[in-house]
Amino acid sequence: MIEELNILITGVGGQGVILMSELLGQAAIKEDLKVRGSEILGMAVRGGPVVSIIRIGDGVFGPLIPEGKCDIMVGMELAEALRNIAYLSKSSLAVVNSKRILPYTVSLGLSPYPDYEQSLKKLREVAGQTVVVDGDQLAREAGSSLSANIVMLGALLGTGRVPIKPETLKEAIKGRFPRQAEINLKAFELGYTACRQGMGYL
Amino acid sequence: MERLPVASDAPGKKLFLLGNEAIARGAIEGGVQVAAAYPGTPSSEIMETLASVAKELDIYVEWSANEKVAFEVALAASICGVRAMASMKHVGVNVAHDAIVTASHIGAKGGLVLLEAEDPWMWSSQNEQDNRYIAEQAYLPVLEPSSVQEAKDMMAQAFQLSEDFKHPFVVRSVTRIGHARSDVTLGPISQERRKGAFQKNTSWLVYTPAGARKNKPLMLQRFEEIRRAVNRFPYNRLNLVDGASLGLIACGLSYSYTTEALRWLGLEGRVSLLKIGTPHPLPEELIKELLASVKQVLVIEELDPFVELHVKALAAEAGFSTPIHGKDLLPRIGELSTRKVTEAIAELTNSRLPVDFPKQDQLAKEVAPLLPLRPPALCPGCPHRASFYAITMAARRVARERGEDVLPIYPGDIGCYTLGYTPPLEAVDTCICMGGSFGIANGLAHVVDAPIVAHLGDSTFFHAGIPALINAVYNKANITMVVLDNSATAMTGFQPHPGTGYTAMGEKTVQLRPEEVARGCGVKFVEVVDPLEVDEAIRAAERAIRFNGPSLIVFRRSCATLEAREKRKRGEKIIPYQVDEEKCRAKCNACIRLLGCPAIMKTDGKAVIDEALCTGCGLCAHICPYNAIVRGEQ
Repeated sequence: MIEELNILITGVGGQGVILMSELLGQAAIKEDLKVRGSEILGMAVRGGPVVSIIRIGDGVFGPLIPEGKCDIMVGMELAEALRNIAYLSKSSLAVVNSKRILPYTVSLGLSPYPDYEQSLKKLREVAGQTVVVDGDQLAREAGSSLSANIVMLGALLGTGRVPIKPETLKEAIKGRFPRQAEINLKAFELGYTACRQGMGYL
Repeated sequence: MERLPVASDAPGKKLFLLGNEAIARGAIEGGVQVAAAYPGTPSSEIMETLASVAKELDIYVEWSANEKVAFEVALAASICGVRAMASMKHVGVNVAHDAIVTASHIGAKGGLVLLEAEDPWMWSSQNEQDNRYIAEQAYLPVLEPSSVQEAKDMMAQAFQLSEDFKHPFVVRSVTRIGHARSDVTLGPISQERRKGAFQKNTSWLVYTPAGARKNKPLMLQRFEEIRRAVNRFPYNRLNLVDGASLGLIACGLSYSYTTEALRWLGLEGRVSLLKIGTPHPLPEELIKELLASVKQVLVIEELDPFVELHVKALAAEAGFSTPIHGKDLLPRIGELSTRKVTEAIAELTNSRLPVDFPKQDQLAKEVAPLLPLRPPALCPGCPHRASFYAITMAARRVARERGEDVLPIYPGDIGCYTLGYTPPLEAVDTCICMGGSFGIANGLAHVVDAPIVAHLGDSTFFHAGIPALINAVYNKANITMVVLDNSATAMTGFQPHPGTGYTAMGEKTVQLRPEEVARGCGVKFVEVVDPLEVDEAIRAAERAIRFNGPSLIVFRRSCATLEAREKRKRGEKIIPYQVDEEKCRAKCNACIRLLGCPAIMKTDGKAVIDEALCTGCGLCAHICPYNAIVRGEQ
């Protein structure tokens, strides 16, 4: 029995963040776990920041994670990972896709974009451990650049800290993508292995 | 065919559901037979879910032209003895308000449930009104869930409660219920299907002054019965702790935050806690019991101090001098959270906070200046961008002729196109309420001398634009009205509407055309134009603005997202545009400066088009002064 595991997935609209939490939740239910989650939809989110929350455990009631209480952050996009840094603490693990998405406000010179190394340094300072995964590259290797979210789901399970069996999550992925099962399962495996390597398990 | 999981008759089964799916499931369990709605965040998925299973479950589901009609459809079914619901976002209740207040005088024969979904912090709304006040004014009882599971359970029971008390019930959802996800244990599905029967009864159903005077006392009597009964409702639970000096009253979702906060502070079993599931009417007996047993009270609720004020009144009336806290420690604006509730309880109990929140906030503050702004923007290829370009080009030209300092005014409306207010388009000057663009334009026409071009979307036109259009004709308002017709209620997820030719249940129907409505209403200048025929679009807009009297233009072009979906289905390739680096001038940036398309970025001073984002609309190619943007290769 698990008391409280707080997972925060962050990215940019269009990256498939919401789908990640749907798949995680479905898998968690298969494992008979209590799950709560929340997200923000609405106001033309394409290109906007997206945060999706999944909380697992018997001690979980509300749909939100308090600042400083995130156990695992999955950052689908570097700046968005940084934007949610207040949720992290020394007991957190950050799994970050190295992808950067520059909005038009950066093109128009209206806003900055953080430096890559500086961002990672900051995340490493705050989180207990930070693992970087090239989700987009691995997705292309798996056969579709659209599968970066599945790569990162694999990476999330690769941390070994989520009480869901990889097989259970893979079943959920197959159920969702019956026609692209092969590509997505490969994406999952690549992410899983990359994270285990990043964490020094392999 | 196998039933969708959400419709499966499998009591005890657990599903992972979005709150709005769970609410729809509750309605199915409760035996709803008629369900009507107008889409609006955070409520839209309820009716989408019901529509997807309507035929197999023999439920009638419709997207109504607006919330008032939706509520009237449900009310009529209830009058005929059939279980019915209407769902809408919180501001939709304003549109339906006229029908709602008198409906409480009618009561309910078939169970009648109004599901209203509020949006604290206005994630996708123009205000965060607290509709418990509307329910109070209309004498409607409110059920307010503390979790997704309870939202499902309340919805399932609300129809029976409505029939038991012969009165309509409101279920109040919020964004963090409707757009939360949770494991949900299913209940049994009601299989009962009734045939509607209308019984003539003018003293019940005709609200002349005499009819209203007869029915109001009956309504008050029904409400009184509900007031007494709520003390026994399972949604209100009092957990008194012997010797506890602090009593908490937690309403709706706040109960979940409070439960967590108490665990967090190690105060479980050390304070008394009253869970409120019926903020209106309140379980007064339980509140008095709590007041009698503690030394101070904290009321925890989102938005306004609705429960707090009633508890204070009740305490005064019953002679309690117990200090009652609430909005002195918790915000009136925005959502609550476990953190905010924890901080409030910690302050009252002098407890140590489990997390050094100021330190965490400091982290966010430190990185804030480094982060890119990602304001919501019109999608790449969005036809509204082209329409706004045409409108502003034409309006500015006409305005300049009227004088150096004359600026065109663009009353706007509610939908994706509200985003046209941002630079560089700057084509929206007001956004207030559904249909408000045409209404505000009517008023402006009589007080300012400038070109007035008001615009709204196709779904909004049918929802609330038509009366203001008629008003412009009748009262001779010299305005230009624009319908941005993208064949979709795009903002809320592409629900069909009267202009699409399809119903909620996927049946073909008459496809209404805004231009025909306008002609029928007496508008003398009506033109339909494709906004991506840029030159013609500008000319048409100019003709409309120069026309003396109310004019209407329909800019017709499908939503880019829908179009891309259709193309994928047909196996058609999307051919993006590219920038010819030789021809592009680094200092120009006209495409970026004029259009603000998310697919165009600046690299080394020059424009670059992101192939993955470009939909091939060609608007940028049209405006490029150096012909540097060209259609890509196959």
